[in-house]
Amino acid sequence: MTHFDWLVDGPIVGIYLLVTMLAGLAVRRYVSRVDDFLVAGREMNVYLGVASLAATEFGVITCMYTAQAGYKYGFAGATPGICQAIAMLVIGLTGFCIRPLRESGARTLPELFEQKFGPRIRRAAGIVIVLGGLLNMGVFLRIGGEFLVVVAGLNPDNLEWTMTGLLLLVAVYTILGGMLSVLVTDFLQFIVMSLGLIAVTVLVLWQIGFGTLVGTVETKIGPGGFNPFIHPELGWKYVLFQLLLNTAATLTWQTVIARVLAAKDSATGGKVFTRTSFFFVCRFLIPGIWGMAALATLAPLALQNLPGGLSSTDSSLYAMPTFLATFVPIGLMGLLVAAMLAADMSTDSSYMLTWASVIYNDIVAPFRWKNWTEKKGLLLNRTIVALIGVFLLFYGLWYQMEGDLWDYLTLTGSIYLASMSVLLVACCYWRRANSWGAAGAIIAGAFFPAAFLVLSKLESTKEISAAIGPHLSGILAFAGAAAAMIVGSMLKPQARN
Amino acid sequence: MLKTHGHLFWWLVTAAVVIWYSTITIYVAIRGTADVREMLKNLSERKQP
Repeated sequence: MTHFDWLVDGPIVGIYLLVTMLAGLAVRRYVSRVDDFLVAGREMNVYLGVASLAATEFGVITCMYTAQAGYKYGFAGATPGICQAIAMLVIGLTGFCIRPLRESGARTLPELFEQKFGPRIRRAAGIVIVLGGLLNMGVFLRIGGEFLVVVAGLNPDNLEWTMTGLLLLVAVYTILGGMLSVLVTDFLQFIVMSLGLIAVTVLVLWQIGFGTLVGTVETKIGPGGFNPFIHPELGWKYVLFQLLLNTAATLTWQTVIARVLAAKDSATGGKVFTRTSFFFVCRFLIPGIWGMAALATLAPLALQNLPGGLSSTDSSLYAMPTFLATFVPIGLMGLLVAAMLAADMSTDSSYMLTWASVIYNDIVAPFRWKNWTEKKGLLLNRTIVALIGVFLLFYGLWYQMEGDLWDYLTLTGSIYLASMSVLLVACCYWRRANSWGAAGAIIAGAFFPAAFLVLSKLESTKEISAAIGPHLSGILAFAGAAAAMIVGSMLKPQARN
Repeated sequence: MLKTHGHLFWWLVTAAVVIWYSTITIYVAIRGTADVREMLKNLSERKQP
């Protein structure tokens, strides 16, 4: 049962898709160089950057896991958003790492690392970034499709075809227009997405009320629903891990850093960060409010009658869309679905482009012929974006997720976040840092999350992984990477001059 | 709507989210349009010999 009406809501979604495609395709004629394709000719100004960063970092998948956090942990589920907002504000104000990164003229993080640690570390960092990023991105399509199944009543049998069509639309404008198309469509998508998010949130607060949300969290979750430090499943390990993870994501997550690299100058990059920082509280609290509203209003058996074919074994992931399906009225439902499609498309396009930029710039670069023309460079970039789209289609639509979505995302993300953030800080601010330390940090940063994933998949070691928990394994990744950087750098003999 | 229900911090954060996000959406929509125009103008000027 859903309020989505094909006659009223369908045209709203159709018009949104048409306008986005036209805008994305219209700017492709401005792309003539690899720099235009990868970093929009470094012509991005502050407010375009704010819109693009916000749209990219909010996808359907974000909405699903943050709503799930609200449903399970109440207001305390918004803790990661507060951590990231603080990190982004401080980094934007101080220019910590992002100023030297932008002023270096590099197109990607590994390109900056080469200046300090050499070409081998550049390639190794590129591989770690791409592996971590693509694994992380792997669950996007299926979860986006499942949102549509529950909210809009999409036939689960058509999920793969619908998401394939959506990915094709995104791939076409991203392949042709690169970062320019991504920025322009992100801007439109930010407006549509924001209108939908605000309208539904105001409706929830108006009709259900802040008092009902507070009362529900008090009754069903307890004091831990307001304070992450006293929640039995969260605690200090969770808060510390979120602080480390979100600071590292702000410094090194390629889609975030791409906005600094595409900015006119380092001051513009800093302003984009400071002015977008509070959005990260909204990014967690708005879907969190929807999740808490689901907790307040859904009947106990509501999540037992979900459509077939949904991938997650944890039905709490579908509480928010189940709630929205009958709460949002006809008309507003069209805006909501358009908003979620906007969120998904902006994330997909930006992710495809930024991981492609690392593959082109840092992994394939040594194998490129010297004196390649801009035309050949563009062709190779477009081919890589297309191949990532194909990967997403198969891995993304067929992957069967298990356990808590946020834990999966943070673990696959932290495969590179821990090591890359340590490399970046050492590269910018520690003169003694060298390639031995960098190699050690990459290995240590990837070891702990990867080992945790392996332990959790094997029947014989499941208990050990449960005892360690995802938060402690994440903290260990950061601590291990930092220790390896220090020890490795101290061990390498220093050059005489 | 205006009662904090004993949770002033989360009430303030919720109010700030709704007010800030509504305001920034309108502001970014206006200023961002100018940014897009300027970016495309600069790129087309750069393309001309």
